[in-house]
Amino acid sequence: MTMVAVPTRIEARRSIWLAPCLLGLTILAGTAIGETRLPFETVLQTLANHLWGAGYAVDGIDAGIIWSYRLPRAIVAACCGAGLALTGVVLQALLRNPLADPYLMGLSAGASTGAVLVTVAGVGGGAVSMSLGALSGALLAFGCVVLLAHAVSGGAGGGRAAQSAAAIILAGIAGSQMFNALTAFTIARSANAEQARSIMFWLMGNLSGIRWDDVGPCVAVSLMGVALCLWHRRGLDAFTFGADGAASLGINVRVLRGSLITATAVMVGVLVSKVGAIGFVGLVVPHAMRFLVGTRHDRLVPASALAGAVFLVAADVISRIIVPGQVLPIGVVTALVGAPAFALILVRGART
Amino acid sequence: MRIEVQQLSAKIHRTPLLKAISLAIESGELFGLVGPNGSGKSTLMRCLAGLQRPAAGRVLADDSDLARMPARQRARRIALVAQQADTTERLTVRQAVELGRTPYLSPLRGWGQADGAAVERALATVEMTGFADRLWHTLSGGERQRVHIARALAQDPELLLLDEPTNHLDIRHQLSLMAVVRELPITRIVALHDLNQAAVCDRVGVMRGGRLVAAGPPHEVLNEALLAEVFGVAATRHAAPDGTPRLHFSHAL
Ligand SMILES: Nc1ncnc2c1ncn2[C@@H]1O[C@H](COP(=O)(O)OP(=O)(O)OP(=O)(O)O)[C@@H](O)[C@H]1O
Ligand SMILES: [Mg+2]
Repeated sequence: MTMVAVPTRIEARRSIWLAPCLLGLTILAGTAIGETRLPFETVLQTLANHLWGAGYAVDGIDAGIIWSYRLPRAIVAACCGAGLALTGVVLQALLRNPLADPYLMGLSAGASTGAVLVTVAGVGGGAVSMSLGALSGALLAFGCVVLLAHAVSGGAGGGRAAQSAAAIILAGIAGSQMFNALTAFTIARSANAEQARSIMFWLMGNLSGIRWDDVGPCVAVSLMGVALCLWHRRGLDAFTFGADGAASLGINVRVLRGSLITATAVMVGVLVSKVGAIGFVGLVVPHAMRFLVGTRHDRLVPASALAGAVFLVAADVISRIIVPGQVLPIGVVTALVGAPAFALILVRGART
Repeated sequence: MRIEVQQLSAKIHRTPLLKAISLAIESGELFGLVGPNGSGKSTLMRCLAGLQRPAAGRVLADDSDLARMPARQRARRIALVAQQADTTERLTVRQAVELGRTPYLSPLRGWGQADGAAVERALATVEMTGFADRLWHTLSGGERQRVHIARALAQDPELLLLDEPTNHLDIRHQLSLMAVVRELPITRIVALHDLNQAAVCDRVGVMRGGRLVAAGPPHEVLNEALLAEVFGVAATRHAAPDGTPRLHFSHAL
């Protein structure tokens, strides 16, 4: 990874074309590489068959692996990476806190509670899927955290904005702790060892259950996230000198903060409900991208979304092939790969 | 821009911070705001900038109620340099000043030549052109303060609110900044601790305990009796070599 200079306007225009190409190549790589070795030709033929009915003769099992298993998985991984990285960008900017990560608002804790209540405690009597339980739990936890933050900051119109950022962070910690405790309580009461292990696995992030059904919602929320963040790029920039600074630049702090935090929470809620709580991406990719493309959100937003997507597809590939015969939780890979990369970026950044 | 404050009160968590302040500042006036620590200067500034909603009373900007003005509209007319505003972001001086153009830009209306020109002008006004490509965290406190002022000037405001702008500045930059502020053709309200600096304002207002206790021409308002009562200092007035009255503070009462 090299330190690139701040791109000029022409380079920026070129990167508009570069981004989708890079994303396409990454997804193609995610589709081509896996435990079962398949010739690259077969991969391309299968994709051609499905995309424009090319009619190549491809082995049915191979085609199934490629089209029904690997491709949706790669697409969802890309969506998750983009969505988590974007959410990190947004929360770190709005709350002026470099440690803000997508799960700050209690989303992963709530999702785990929801998932555990459905799978272990049998809430919903089988009519509710684990994914739906996780989504409901995440959104419920988010709602609790928002209410708590509102109560802490006094809900007063005159309250100082910096205080309400601290209130949101503290409320998030309290909410997360409570929902984590609920999860632990439910597991302790009713889960057997096998269930507990599979839940742990899911919580670390797990893409193996992904099918085409999951692709639609993931693509929809992450495209919405990218569009919304790009639309509000100047509003995010305006928070550089804090919420008061943004307000004096004509940003309606309450509205912008409320809508962006809610939108990213819904996005992360949907993603978590599909793949579990993948750590590290949302915290680190934004920092890495700030070093590479600068702090302005017109570049930071697309760069983080792209880097998050590429990073997570790569992490997923690694998680599938690194230990033969076993799939590692992707969260383990993101942390193992990401932490040294982050350290490297920090050290290099400090030297410039 | 003419600004009028009518019976303004402000509270935080039910603690009254400003009590029934009434004040009118004419277009183009340089108004100094003085008062001991905690007297409510910054709070009044925040109300005037629309950052804090009044608990009672209102602020009129050219006869339109500030509370009803859309935020963007407000930020094109009123700029605030807060007492303390810092960042950990690695941005350059120019990028920080460019933030001042935010109220003129929209998701669809991009950066234009007029915006660039406003930024260059603002940088030149505070003598920071040579620093334009320096990173924020490499600046000294006084340089940061000047960048904040440039950012406010880039907003092209009709009312400039400066909360202790000469803090952190060395004596030359204090004087040159006050000279710059004096030359600006817009309405300016400046909170100051240096009472001799306040003397160059057209009028000064004195705050104490959330109230405006006096307002008027500096040489009438800043007299020995008021300084003793509000600031608790013994002061004498004497003529400087150029004939203008100067305050000399001997001791705390
Ligand atoms: N968020 C807050 N909660 C409670 N009290 C506050 C808050 N902010 C300010 N105050 C109080 O309001 C009063 C006025 O504060 P303000 O910052 O306006 O004073 P100031 O005149 O600007 O003082 P200084 O000269 O020190 O800058 C102070 O007594 C302060 O303690
Ligand atoms: Mg103050």
